[in-house]
Amino acid sequence: MRRSSPLVPYLLVLPGFLLAAFIILWPLVQLGTIALSEVNRFGQLRGFAGLANFAAILEDPEFLAALWRTVIWTVGIVFGALLLSFPVALVLHQDFYGRGLARVIVMLPWAISITMTAIVWRWALNGESGLLNSGLRTLGLLDTNIQWLAQATTAFPVQILIGILVTVPFTVTIFLGGLSSIPEDLYEAATLEGASAFQAFREITFPLMLPFLNIAVVLNTIYVFNSFPIIWATTQGGPANSTDILVTYLYKLGFAYGKLGEASALSLIMFALLLMFTLLYVRLTARRGEDVA
Amino acid sequence: MRKTLGIMAGAALGVTFAGSLAVAATVRVTVAEYSSKTGPYFEAAAAAFEAANPGTDIQIEVVPWDVLLQKLTTDISAGTNADLAIIGTRWLVDFVEEGIAAPLDEYMDDAFRSRFFEVFLSPSVMNGETYGLPIAASARAMYYNRDLLEQAGFDAPPDTWEELAKTAAAVSALGEEVYGYGLQGKEIETDVYFYYAFWAYGGDLIEADGTSGLDTEAAYAAARLYKSMIDAGSTQPGVTAYTREDVQNLFKQGRVGMMITAPFLSAQIKEEAPGLPYGVARIPAGPGGERGTYGVTDSIIMFENSQNKDLAWKFLDMIFTTEWRARFTEGEGFLPVNKEVAAMPAFAENPDLKVFTALLPEARFAPVIRGWEEIAAITVNALQAIYLGEAGVEEALDGAAAKIDRVLGK
Repeated sequence: MRRSSPLVPYLLVLPGFLLAAFIILWPLVQLGTIALSEVNRFGQLRGFAGLANFAAILEDPEFLAALWRTVIWTVGIVFGALLLSFPVALVLHQDFYGRGLARVIVMLPWAISITMTAIVWRWALNGESGLLNSGLRTLGLLDTNIQWLAQATTAFPVQILIGILVTVPFTVTIFLGGLSSIPEDLYEAATLEGASAFQAFREITFPLMLPFLNIAVVLNTIYVFNSFPIIWATTQGGPANSTDILVTYLYKLGFAYGKLGEASALSLIMFALLLMFTLLYVRLTARRGEDVA
Repeated sequence: MRKTLGIMAGAALGVTFAGSLAVAATVRVTVAEYSSKTGPYFEAAAAAFEAANPGTDIQIEVVPWDVLLQKLTTDISAGTNADLAIIGTRWLVDFVEEGIAAPLDEYMDDAFRSRFFEVFLSPSVMNGETYGLPIAASARAMYYNRDLLEQAGFDAPPDTWEELAKTAAAVSALGEEVYGYGLQGKEIETDVYFYYAFWAYGGDLIEADGTSGLDTEAAYAAARLYKSMIDAGSTQPGVTAYTREDVQNLFKQGRVGMMITAPFLSAQIKEEAPGLPYGVARIPAGPGGERGTYGVTDSIIMFENSQNKDLAWKFLDMIFTTEWRARFTEGEGFLPVNKEVAAMPAFAENPDLKVFTALLPEARFAPVIRGWEEIAAITVNALQAIYLGEAGVEEALDGAAAKIDRVLGK
């Protein structure tokens, strides 16, 4: 057999690489240029600024507060969604009457844009005329109305809950794909050997689902870290910036305050954070995979 | 033969070229969506203009208010901005200093100028040049619910903030679901809702020395007043969850005794709660008798890089004629900026509008300074911390004033 030139793989990758470069690298270069420049309110460059924009971000106490909140937000939603989605996927994987309908119901929120969901929640969370308060009062769980969005102590947890709800359908889909990839005969063999349902779950389902768990963690982290609509539609990061995460803070910097240089610097910082997380996570899980093998 | 063919082809090309030039007389207009009537209004104006000026094409881009500044920013940075755009007049200083807005004086004659009330035209004048025309104008006044005030034992709306606090406490005492003073604590104009009291107590947003006025006795007094009303239950609970629209909704439901907002609430009440017994009154005065309403104009500007300035001006000239202005102003519930429009019975005999126009002499406009949006955000954050009880009045306002001074470069 004739060996093909070692260049061929690279050539085959090239079109895809060029497309990715156009979509990802070109904006990155643009962002980098703006971040290193003095920029006016309208994004027109006015000279070289060095690292002044980055320094301004790092000195801003709002940045650290928003960063910390972003961590809580991301970890809360990603793991909340994992915990909720795994059992849901296990149930939906069973063969039962009406499974098709059940799957549709679980997937349905996915069909609605997150912004719409968030706006509906904003109405539901209204303190005086919202559905949530009136529902809780009808059930007798509440005596006086709670102003859910008036302070961060109630607003932020509720926002995380909404985030979990909208993340579940996607996560369930990944898990269902994973579950259907596990061969049935493994379970049959386990049953023959006398394994209990829990043992089958612990020794077969869970380890074989690990790669799918990892995909769900990485993809959801990327989505949630950058997720803007839920917080913006409900509180715009307020009151007093107490529900700001990095993306909402970025939006304010760029489009309300007109500090496009600082906003570009911040988005580069966010990009670097996500990239670092993803590389680290993939590295860790890959190594663990080798150990298991 | 070949030569003739060539000439003919050239002529044909020339004709096509001329044809495409005629069609290319395009003016793009970015307009803010004030209500569902805005888009249809401008489309109708564009159609009328195109019918009167064959070969022109007016393209209207309707953008929601919330993202207008974002769209303008991205368009300008990419060099793809329209020829005309509506902007908040408080942003104009940035547009002028960066050379983005074109001066309009060369197009304006005295007859054109005299169509407008001076008070609305002047905010768009900078360094002696006019950079924008007031497309929308508004002021704020106090709405009150006659029934609630009567039940609480008040025949007339309060005229001072002290009276307002008493009235609000009495109205709140009427029942569990009824609140005296609707206090806005979230999103756009949360700062302005505080300025009504701040101005009445004698405050100024920017002091004579160019620094923020938030660290003054007037600001402390106004903030203490609001905070004490919140603590006394004279406002709706959880004020930081309420946007202006949320408070307006409570008012329309007859659950709030008093609130301060723009003329468009009258139009909304007419449509959504026609039975509501309400009145419109001046904004209450402070201890020194001072009072101030907030005057707002939005301007339509022409971009310096527009390729069709003359045609763009012609379109502006048309939409600022009495006929088109009346249609717009009535549809949106704004104050008339044209004198002839204001004299029309629909406006001159409207009792609610009368109150608003009477307030105009004491109207204050957002100061012409750079970074206004950031200053507003700093103020709102401080107010929310005060309303929530997370920070003391002096501490929060002093901190905000220091930050604002930094934005102002002081």
